[in-house]
Amino acid sequence: MKRWIALLALALPLSVWAVSGEEVMKKSQAAFLYPGKDFKVRVLMKLINRDGQERVREMTMLRKNTGAAGGEQKYFMYFFQPADVKDMTFMTYKYPAKDDDRWMFIPAVNMVKRIAAQDKRSSFVGSDFTYEDVSGRDVEDDNHVIEREEKLGSRDCYVVKSTPKAGDADFGHKLTWVDKATFLPVKEEQFDRKGAPYKQFTADEIADVKGQPTVIKRTMKNLQTGHRTEVGYLKSEYDLGLEDSLFSERFLRQPPRKWVD
Amino acid sequence: MTKFSLVEFSIRRPKLVLLLAGLLTLVFLTQFPKIRTDTNPKHMLPETSDVRVWNDAVDKTFALYEDTIVVGVENDAGVLNRDTLGRIARITDGILGLDGVATRDVNGFTTITNVTAEAGTLKVGPLMPAAPRTDAEVEALRAALFGNTLFVDRVISKDGKTTAIYVPLEKGANGAEVAGKIRDIVAKEKGPERYYVAGDPVARDTFGAEMFKLMAIFSPIAGMIMFAAIQYMFRNLALSAAMMGVSMVAIIWSIGLLIGAGFPVHIMSSMAPVFLMAIATDSIHIFNEFYFRYKERGDKLAAIRETMAAVSRPVRFTALATAAGFAVLMFMNIVPVQVFGALIAFGTVVLRLLSFSFIPAVLTFVREDRIARAAGGESVEGDRTARALGRLGAFGAARPWTTVAVALVLVAVSAWGTSKIHVNNNLVAWFKASSEIRVADTTMNRALGGTSLGYLVVESKEAEFMKRPEAMRWMEGLQRHLETMPVVGKTFSVADYVKRINRVLHDDDKQYDVVPDTKDTVGQYLFLFSMSAKPSDLDNVVDPVFGKANVWIQMKTWDAEAMRQVIAAAEEYQKANPLPVTVKPAGIAYFNLVWNDEVLGDLVLGFGLALVVVFVILALDFRSARWALVGYVPLLFTILLIYGVVGFVGKDFDMPLSVMSTLSLGMAVDFAIHFVSRLRQRLAEMGTTDLAQALAWTAARPGKGIMRNAMLFAAAFSVMMAAPLTPYVAVGAFIVAMMLLSALLTLLLLPALVTLGQRWLLDKPMPAAVVAPQPAIGG
Repeated sequence: MKRWIALLALALPLSVWAVSGEEVMKKSQAAFLYPGKDFKVRVLMKLINRDGQERVREMTMLRKNTGAAGGEQKYFMYFFQPADVKDMTFMTYKYPAKDDDRWMFIPAVNMVKRIAAQDKRSSFVGSDFTYEDVSGRDVEDDNHVIEREEKLGSRDCYVVKSTPKAGDADFGHKLTWVDKATFLPVKEEQFDRKGAPYKQFTADEIADVKGQPTVIKRTMKNLQTGHRTEVGYLKSEYDLGLEDSLFSERFLRQPPRKWVD
Repeated sequence: MTKFSLVEFSIRRPKLVLLLAGLLTLVFLTQFPKIRTDTNPKHMLPETSDVRVWNDAVDKTFALYEDTIVVGVENDAGVLNRDTLGRIARITDGILGLDGVATRDVNGFTTITNVTAEAGTLKVGPLMPAAPRTDAEVEALRAALFGNTLFVDRVISKDGKTTAIYVPLEKGANGAEVAGKIRDIVAKEKGPERYYVAGDPVARDTFGAEMFKLMAIFSPIAGMIMFAAIQYMFRNLALSAAMMGVSMVAIIWSIGLLIGAGFPVHIMSSMAPVFLMAIATDSIHIFNEFYFRYKERGDKLAAIRETMAAVSRPVRFTALATAAGFAVLMFMNIVPVQVFGALIAFGTVVLRLLSFSFIPAVLTFVREDRIARAAGGESVEGDRTARALGRLGAFGAARPWTTVAVALVLVAVSAWGTSKIHVNNNLVAWFKASSEIRVADTTMNRALGGTSLGYLVVESKEAEFMKRPEAMRWMEGLQRHLETMPVVGKTFSVADYVKRINRVLHDDDKQYDVVPDTKDTVGQYLFLFSMSAKPSDLDNVVDPVFGKANVWIQMKTWDAEAMRQVIAAAEEYQKANPLPVTVKPAGIAYFNLVWNDEVLGDLVLGFGLALVVVFVILALDFRSARWALVGYVPLLFTILLIYGVVGFVGKDFDMPLSVMSTLSLGMAVDFAIHFVSRLRQRLAEMGTTDLAQALAWTAARPGKGIMRNAMLFAAAFSVMMAAPLTPYVAVGAFIVAMMLLSALLTLLLLPALVTLGQRWLLDKPMPAAVVAPQPAIGG
């Protein structure tokens, strides 16, 4: 009899939440990083320091899923700003559970260089986003627990606590507010390994693009340095039929006009 | 209607006076638990001072940290072996987990950004992500370290025996606590390595501890020595206790006020107790005279009244001079010096107030038989000290030309010595050579690029200017120019990153270790770098819009002079290589330079002010500019002699010494005031024409008070010569020398000068002293 009660007690949290933390995060990743077969967007990134000084990064980003949600992806970025990096391109092959492949084209010296991806924690183009923040962290790398459910603004959210299984992340743990309706992350709080608030992500504007709820304005703020990065999506499009051959060294050097304008 | 007399009141209601003093003391004592110390050298200048505003702006523009702890690891067999590297990795990991550490910007082997190319792949990331497991990995690390100029002399010494971990602290972090935890972390490692924990926060903390030591240990010792000396001189416990009581009360009131007013205790104010104790010894003149008077009269109360009447004027004026000497400090630019001046000026006033209330009150309680016994020896004739001093004064009076001639020779020699004085503040040198902090500093300076950090901010009006190849090359040239200087250890700038990337992209070909030819290339290289590096790597060396660049200069010495040389060299370089940019110095080394110059300016200003103020007080007291001038001589002479010695010894003339010279005027003039006042009193009282006899009497009787005063002063300050911080030692030595010299000179040189100038000094009617004015009988 006692054993039954114990088992029931163990099962209780599951039955209360219906879904597990890991499931929520998987769905969230699919909604956030994998919608559509492919995706094209013009990105305006503002890097703003404590004193309000701004630096701008402007690029076109292309993404193509080569597998299912959580699987392989290819990214292609073409930079417009800052002025002196115009024509620079950047390409990533993203693999789950394995280091990404990255290439960069440096027009001033007409050189394509492979870039080691040893550190996913490093900053993406000097912003407050890390590579991981941009292209996602493997769901399996963390333990996910639904801490609670609460309303954030008008949205009902799961609050998921994710704790890295290994000590390789640049955060100690993070809390993600996942919208129950769209499964988009609407807020994320990262804590450093000492448990102090470290970075905060907010989805500032969510719009419907071809039936896909898309975060078109977002901010990542470093709470320790006061530095923040605001990202705006202009002209987002899904399912353009991007070809695989686009993601190659040849097109890194000479990207087709129609894909990068 | 009689004027209210504090002395009368105190003699009539002694118990009330003591009770009141006790109660007030308790009130001030309640402030003590709120004590705070401030050991941050930055606070020497006000927050609104140009240099601090500018330095804060630079810190902000380049995301620099105010405080960095440097952990040095030294292994005689070299640090590049698996064991040591394992320890370094563990230690760094421990440090990253400490509260207050700006984890993201800790730079050591495991965290510093390295740019390399391996098998055609560009790698920007931590130099040593984990401790090497094979010897081959160790060798690869060695190659990476020595193949990158950004690392040599920064995280690895040329001989490979020393490395450093730079640990920046978050704003408001407790540096002492972090340093303590780092020491705990390294203490867990067993091995042949030696560890050094250094840097500003550590120095400040050590400093604070030493300050408390001075106040809590050295001040009481000084007090006990004075107590013993007074007891030896007067052989009456009540009197000795009264004297100490007076100084205790003054110390508690002053420090209580300081703390209560919200000021932290600083290097200067930590010396306040010793100063106040020493200044309290001026009451010696009261006791001294009381003993003589009591012996003459045998009536205690009458003796008290007469004593107070006889010494009140000199005691009041010496107090005024001392207070004024300290108050002058309030006009200086250095904050702790201002506070110190106000503090001691207040304390001096309190002391004088007590001299006319507390002391007479205590004197009424002294048992007559005890005084009689102790005062037994007190007569000019019967006292060996007094007789010797009398003979000293008589010698000056009898052989004035010889005395003055010897004095002039000494003046000439001292003037020569003074010309050799070298103004310099070196904060690290404030610690003794054997102190942990000096040892760490010396070791790190020998092995790495230097612990004193300065910046040269290169500014253009144009955004993006710093990406131009000519700007990059200009900075590179500036660095090479500065590196030829012996005081400069290492420099680095954004140009170093650009060159590094250029070389790495071209298969580590040395030919490409140069700034590329186009602005776009520079821009793209830096963009590439920023794609993987820590944000701070670039932020520390360029502003967000590339209009300003920051060149880091590590110097091997904390001497303020080093930064001056760097600035001069930069100006010279700019003259030879014109570029439309301005170069402005910044950083802690620059702060030290500015502060150093403020000290010099303050010295001139304060000394000038003190000279004028003291002269005016002397002239007012003597009601004669001539006597004031004569009274001035021993004082100036004393200071000149000491400066001469400072010059010859080669001791840096730093802030504490500069403050001392200003103060010394106000303190050393006391003896001249006593001497001249009492001499003229004597002349007036006795109506004597025998100047030589009057001089001998003055040298013997008030002279004994002067000598006693000087001895007590010196005794109190001699304790500081054993203190652990060199400024304390210097101040101790300075005051001991000053007191003994000025007492001696007052008793020897003044009689000589008065004898020589007697026509000039005595040819007009004697002004009123304490007794009724009498016509002077010209000599």
